[in-house]
Amino acid sequence: MVNALDPQNMNRFSEASVSVEIETEDMTLNIGPQHPSTHGVLRLVAKVDGEKVHDVKPVLGYMHRGYEKLAEVRSYPQITTLVNRIDWVAGFSNEIPFIAGAERLMEIEVPERAKHIRLILTEMARISSHFVFNGAYALEVGALTPIFYAMEDRERVLDLIESVTGGRFHPNFNRIGGVKPAAGAGPTSKKNIQDLPAGFYRDTKVAMEKVIQAADQFQNLIGGNEVFKKRTKNVGVLTAETAEAYGVSGPILRASGVKSDLRTQTDYLPYDQFDYDIPVGENGDCYDRWDVRVKEMVESAKIVLQAIDSMPSGPLQAKVPKVIKVPQGRTYVRAENPKGEMGYYIVSDGGLGPYRLKVRTASFSNVSILPIMLEGALLPDLIAIMGSLDFVLGDVDR
Amino acid sequence: MEEFFNNIKESFKEATLEFETINIKIDSTEWIDVHKKLRDEFNLKFFSWLSAIDWDNEVSVGEAPKDSVSPSFEIITCLSDLDNTNLVTVSTSISKSEPNINSLIDVYAGANWHEREAYEMFGINFENHPNLEKLYLPDGYEGNPMLKSFELISREVKPWPGDVDVEGMPEESESDGSVDG
Repeated sequence: MVNALDPQNMNRFSEASVSVEIETEDMTLNIGPQHPSTHGVLRLVAKVDGEKVHDVKPVLGYMHRGYEKLAEVRSYPQITTLVNRIDWVAGFSNEIPFIAGAERLMEIEVPERAKHIRLILTEMARISSHFVFNGAYALEVGALTPIFYAMEDRERVLDLIESVTGGRFHPNFNRIGGVKPAAGAGPTSKKNIQDLPAGFYRDTKVAMEKVIQAADQFQNLIGGNEVFKKRTKNVGVLTAETAEAYGVSGPILRASGVKSDLRTQTDYLPYDQFDYDIPVGENGDCYDRWDVRVKEMVESAKIVLQAIDSMPSGPLQAKVPKVIKVPQGRTYVRAENPKGEMGYYIVSDGGLGPYRLKVRTASFSNVSILPIMLEGALLPDLIAIMGSLDFVLGDVDR
Repeated sequence: MEEFFNNIKESFKEATLEFETINIKIDSTEWIDVHKKLRDEFNLKFFSWLSAIDWDNEVSVGEAPKDSVSPSFEIITCLSDLDNTNLVTVSTSISKSEPNINSLIDVYAGANWHEREAYEMFGINFENHPNLEKLYLPDGYEGNPMLKSFELISREVKPWPGDVDVEGMPEESESDGSVDG
């Protein structure tokens, strides 16, 4: 320790000149894996130069459960239970492309009523996922209130999913060839299979009206907030070209101005029977990504209301063999999930389970863009950009 | 889709169309050139995924293929076109003794993580990859879990297929099943 009051040292200090160019050393900042705003266990290792972030390295694998390996030793009906847990915020929509792939290989025509029920529940899963996003994202950029509204409104939708499937998050409701009889439908007999619980249509109509109101409320409560606008507008701009090369899909891609929606482009569910818009952003910034999702909630609610009015009658289940064996072949079925393109590449060898199952999840590709988006961003923007990607770690790590 | 398939057929004679997906099988030496061509000439700019299949007759996990296969790695990429419904998978085969293939990063930047995953899961070496490290697995992990020879511990205890649960299906119903209205 140098004594500054010592006369000998005083001389030395007075001669010291102030260096104009301050040499700074980059600090390595470790964010996560246990960080409330990482939606699970994502870890980011970032270099920080003052307030600027560069060389961000996402570290994955804390939630890796090895679905692709597990699927090799399971039969098709068992895998349905597994895939529920990939993106747990919208569990129902994970089942759809897998089931659709198996049905496609088995050449099973699913009854219209089962397709409609699937569609309604998929859209409800989308709404509930976007509710979580709205609450969580507002929280991440510093607004505490919206999450309480979002969670309350989401509960109404989850109750409906529960009344049909018996599960709030992991419904395991799809069967190859259709859907199973609803949980809340009361006793079923061979003569009278009940599918939807009593009062489902009425409750759904009420809930969907509330969703449309809630989206409107979010537009004022979150979107109308000056602080929120300042934190998100022109922050984390993503161009369509970069997004495409990285396989970024879903609302993030649409926020960058690409009108791409697998619901209209493929026929895994009968979306062509309904009238709805595909919201598209202009700038590809955080605000647009938020805005696109809020607008999507309204469109999803509209789809559900139309589907309820035009619900066809008929059986819930096509005729399928008792032991499900999928013929030799391969297929890739993709679906527009709340977070983007989700697909399953099924390679079947005619056995009880797939020879190889490749799971393509939306969040995996969406998160791979983080190092590009965070290059040179301000540290406070890091959370705003990360949150706007709306990922779930189960969907990233699989 | 039909028109697009005919265009593809002009360049790739052996392309097949199955379940609305165009499959192109190529030689591993053309890997980069074909992807460049598909991206630039056929406008397939959206990189969906890359993965591999371990083809093997001796399988410790799951069921062995019914027909005899030549042991090899099949590498597959899935590309699509955002404006249309065109979906293309490109696949190639490489030997297991020398599992080398060129990295696609220069063509599709998004191949980065997918290649790292295939590297750790199958042990495939992607040449010219700037950062070929493990993606999910911890650093000290040995083995490539997605190989068919890599056995799951739980399956050593309880062999596959075990007892297959068969859920009884309701017989044909006479009513339309609707209770609500």
